[in-house]
Amino acid sequence: MTTIERYAAPKSLDEALGILQQGEVTILAGGTDLMPQTRAGRIAFKPTLMNIRDVAGLSGVVLDGDALRIGALTTITEVLDDPLVKEFVPVLAEACDHFASDQIRNAGTIGGNINNASPAGDTLVPLIVLDAEVELASKPNGSVTTRCMPLAEYFTGPGRTRRAAGELLTAVRIPLPKPGHVARFYKFGTRPALDISTISIGIAGVMRDGALSDTRVAFGAVAPTPVRAKQTEAALEGRRLDQSTIEAAANAARDEVNPIDDVRATAWYRKELIHNMTKRMLDHVAQA
Amino acid sequence: MNAAEKPVIVADSLIGQRIQKKDAPEKAAGKTRYIQDMVVPGMLHAKILRSARVHARILSIDTSAAKALPGVHVVITAADVPDQQPIGVARDHLPLKGERVRSLRDEIAAVAADSEEIAEAALRLIRVEYEDLPIVAGPEDAIKPGAPLIHPAPLDAEGRPKTLPPKTPVAFAGKADNVAMRFDYTHGDLAAAEAESDVVVEDTFQLHYVTHCCMGVSGVIAEFDASGNLLMYSNTQVPFLHKREFAEYLDIDPARVRIIQPPIGGGFGSKLDIYPFEVICIFLARAAKRPVKMVFTREEEFLASPTRQPVLLTLRSGCRKDGTLTFRQVHTLHDNGAYTSWGATTPFVMMQTFSSLYRVPACDYHTTVVYTNNPYAGSFRGYGNLQATFAIEQHMDMLAEKIGMDPLDFRLKNAQDAGEVTGQGMTFKSCGFKECLTTAAERSDYRRKHADNIANRNARGPVKRGIGIASMLHVGGGAKIYPSDGCGTILKLDDFANVTLITGASEIGQGSETVLSQLVCEELGLPISAVTVVNNDTAITPWDVGVHASRTTFIAGNSAIGAARMAKAKILAAAARKHDCDEASLDLRGGFVVKADSGEAVVELARLMRSLHFSDKAELVMTTFYYEPPSVHQDKGFKGDVSAAYAWATQVVEVEVDTDTGIVKMTKVTGTHDVGRVLNRLGLEGQIEGGVVMGQGYALTENLIVENGVTRNPNFRDYKLVTAPEIPEMDISFVESMDGEGPRGAKGVGEAPSICIAAAAANAIYNATGVRIFGLPFTPEAVYRALRGVTSKPHWQAWKPE
Ligand SMILES: Cc1cc2nc3c(=O)[nH]c(=O)nc-3n(C[C@H](O)[C@H](O)[C@H](O)COP(=O)(O)OP(=O)(O)OC[C@H]3O[C@@H](n4cnc5c(N)ncnc54)[C@H](O)[C@@H]3O)c2cc1C
Repeated sequence: MTTIERYAAPKSLDEALGILQQGEVTILAGGTDLMPQTRAGRIAFKPTLMNIRDVAGLSGVVLDGDALRIGALTTITEVLDDPLVKEFVPVLAEACDHFASDQIRNAGTIGGNINNASPAGDTLVPLIVLDAEVELASKPNGSVTTRCMPLAEYFTGPGRTRRAAGELLTAVRIPLPKPGHVARFYKFGTRPALDISTISIGIAGVMRDGALSDTRVAFGAVAPTPVRAKQTEAALEGRRLDQSTIEAAANAARDEVNPIDDVRATAWYRKELIHNMTKRMLDHVAQA
Repeated sequence: MNAAEKPVIVADSLIGQRIQKKDAPEKAAGKTRYIQDMVVPGMLHAKILRSARVHARILSIDTSAAKALPGVHVVITAADVPDQQPIGVARDHLPLKGERVRSLRDEIAAVAADSEEIAEAALRLIRVEYEDLPIVAGPEDAIKPGAPLIHPAPLDAEGRPKTLPPKTPVAFAGKADNVAMRFDYTHGDLAAAEAESDVVVEDTFQLHYVTHCCMGVSGVIAEFDASGNLLMYSNTQVPFLHKREFAEYLDIDPARVRIIQPPIGGGFGSKLDIYPFEVICIFLARAAKRPVKMVFTREEEFLASPTRQPVLLTLRSGCRKDGTLTFRQVHTLHDNGAYTSWGATTPFVMMQTFSSLYRVPACDYHTTVVYTNNPYAGSFRGYGNLQATFAIEQHMDMLAEKIGMDPLDFRLKNAQDAGEVTGQGMTFKSCGFKECLTTAAERSDYRRKHADNIANRNARGPVKRGIGIASMLHVGGGAKIYPSDGCGTILKLDDFANVTLITGASEIGQGSETVLSQLVCEELGLPISAVTVVNNDTAITPWDVGVHASRTTFIAGNSAIGAARMAKAKILAAAARKHDCDEASLDLRGGFVVKADSGEAVVELARLMRSLHFSDKAELVMTTFYYEPPSVHQDKGFKGDVSAAYAWATQVVEVEVDTDTGIVKMTKVTGTHDVGRVLNRLGLEGQIEGGVVMGQGYALTENLIVENGVTRNPNFRDYKLVTAPEIPEMDISFVESMDGEGPRGAKGVGEAPSICIAAAAANAIYNATGVRIFGLPFTPEAVYRALRGVTSKPHWQAWKPE
């Protein structure tokens, strides 16, 4: 049973941040994580439930200088269908295409996916390899301030982030990819729809003369948070993407992840998948 | 009517047409009112407190705080129902557990309150103290010497086993070991047959837990009237058996129990037994003197509704070099769970497949069903046949390979024909088995693909293609298990020639209302829209044994035809009298009495009905018929022609195996079913498509993970049903063997389509990869492990009692 004492549905960011500043607030966006988790007793509501769906200006994708800015309330469906996303960061659209079902995508938001901070959150791995940053707003002493942080540093554990209690995630910013940029995403679920990732893999970099540079590799569902795979990146960075580089990178990937056994898969199998699919993805990049 | 006005009605048949299910518009519009939607004035809401321990003694139960909660009307425990009687086939199961819990689903207390929320809050206030007992986590542990007993005999004050009168149910008397049931069947001379064999294979197969996942979860409303008569709104598939059994448990006259079935949101066998929640709901209603409604949550449905029977099965099969089968020997160990329900009796069906799917001179079958602390298994579409077919059809491929024979030729050589009487005494009056084999093989291009896939096994690329074949035999004309396997019909025509068909057969979504209406209309020359079906109230409908064993179209269909033919005879006789002609020259067509030869209308049927009714010798057309199939009970050795007809099918499954991930994609299923005769083509195709998908889930994705008595995935996130994009292309065709006893030649088909899929998928994976997998399900990780050779083969030292 819930102990919600107050329900708030602010219309502006200013108002929302004011409510947050008073403390003890649960933020509700699409509710597709929050509702099942509170019902299952995994998390408890704070006394104030603040629905942010009516806050103006938190939704939509825009070009903002040399970055793409995706508002926190943008739904997974909107990200999937957005022309700017398709043009500049199609890998994010691809991740959204493997996300849940239409019903969930229509309700679930990108801000919710990030703040739920699940190691299996499907937009997180592509966002990390795209060097995305989160934009956090707060109103500590009467005026709104904003700070940014690389998404790769945002997560501290399952369901935990570096967001302060008074902060609202307002947007995620993705620097526009350089020429020659390639990015791939792979999600392993046991079925094509409605499945939580057993593992996921994101690979990105700039392909020049048959080699990757600015290499980014990230894995989902193999650690308490989505993780960057520094050793796999190092095995690839600047090297000709030939069979021996690919095999070395796949081996590095298998060695550097440290997954667990759960109902979805054993750790051993997850490591095998990381190896085999990293290899397959790199083969595709090399052949493209 | 003058001659010029008399229309000529051409003969027209509904048989084989595509007829929309009568309940489809309501269901598609979301208007059907299931038990979940029902509100009975004054009703309370009930919840059950289940065990927090897998196996434990209950030291104390404190319900005082729950009773004190405002809005709570009744809280009961075993102590409040000293009259409770054990339920289930082995009478080993008391609905409320007072002294000991044997599985996590065990019911300890129940609450009836003003709302579900209050009932749930009350459950949280109940305190139970347990003393843990050692857990029997699997069937192999259950038969080890010195294994903890699941149902130990009660002790007297001195610690000696209590002396109880003979025939005391297991629930009170206990059991000296963990063996719940045994089945032993044999025909032929096994030793001689084995000696004649050129090739023998022996393997152990492991079959897992799955559960029905009905969209409509279990639910019941119980209500006593002022005279103490019990009315239940229930999802049961067996209302007449329930009526009798509830009367027994309550020690009242069965006449005082009435069961009404609201539309049922799926059964698949899950609603075939009596369950504790139903009895508990009755106890609550009795104590509260109010109607009480109890509906499961989805999680509860996973934890506390029955499972398919998990089985460990060792099969030895032999054949000669020329491809003749010589013998089969089977030992199975069935994990019963903590209590005995229908899952324990699946050997009835399993042994039929071993003894009679193919001609086999010697067959020796043994099952030991043992108690464990796991969830208990019930009946589930196919009733053991999926498990048996999984083993037998893999062995058919393996034997064929050993003797270098094409797997299709090997099957054709041993397949049954019409007219055969098997070792088990089954008589195949109609049998389209060989035609199923050749049709499915041709339509899927089985031979060519099978050979090509083997040739391509070592080609480059991670994805391998495979094709596999499997066939099945299942009862198709009822199954004589109870004293009667029959069904009654009352048929009534009103003044407008509309028909009310009152049948004992329940509709559980399978389309029985539609096919029964169709059979009646075919006799009476009326459109489907002329029939109203009444089939859900034991106070109105005549007796029927229940929806199981793929029997409804066959048994209830013959019953409906019987009643319709009587009505037709009565109508034609009356028409002949009134119109002064020979009744043999008349027929019913298009809503008219017509001249049979020319189709010329004699009188509109509605008019005739009115003239019969509103005359000085007022007469109504109302007939009754009871159909009992000409099948027999099995003898003590499980021999006898238990069904009036047998159904056959062959299914060919095509897969793509990704060897980097272990993902098996089912790309196509080609199924050929001997259904006797196609009645409603649309309904039949729907039944088969749904069944194939259920078989696909069993083969590839569904897995109720039970570890140490704990169900790890009681939700649809982690219990993976097949979703729409995974459903393979299907090519479904029919063999019409025109069964002599079947309604218009038809045989039962309800369970058939699920049965072969897992077996055919196993053969397809082997065809693709050269790796044979003996355990289900073929989840990506399981397949990947098998491909990498890191799975241990299921092994079991077949247990034979001294
Ligand atoms: C059936 C089903 C299938 C699913 N499948 C997938 C899947 O395939 N892949 C996947 O990644 N996820 C999946 N999910 C999880 C979920 O849908 C996603 O994580 C979704 O993006 C969450 O967004 P939401 O808007 O619904 O978040 P909510 O549930 O509203 O919020 C989630 C969390 O984030 C916080 N929050 C929300 N917005 C903000 C903000 N702007 N600032 C600060 N905190 C905020 C909330 O307080 C809460 O703690 C599935 C869920 C369901 C129920």
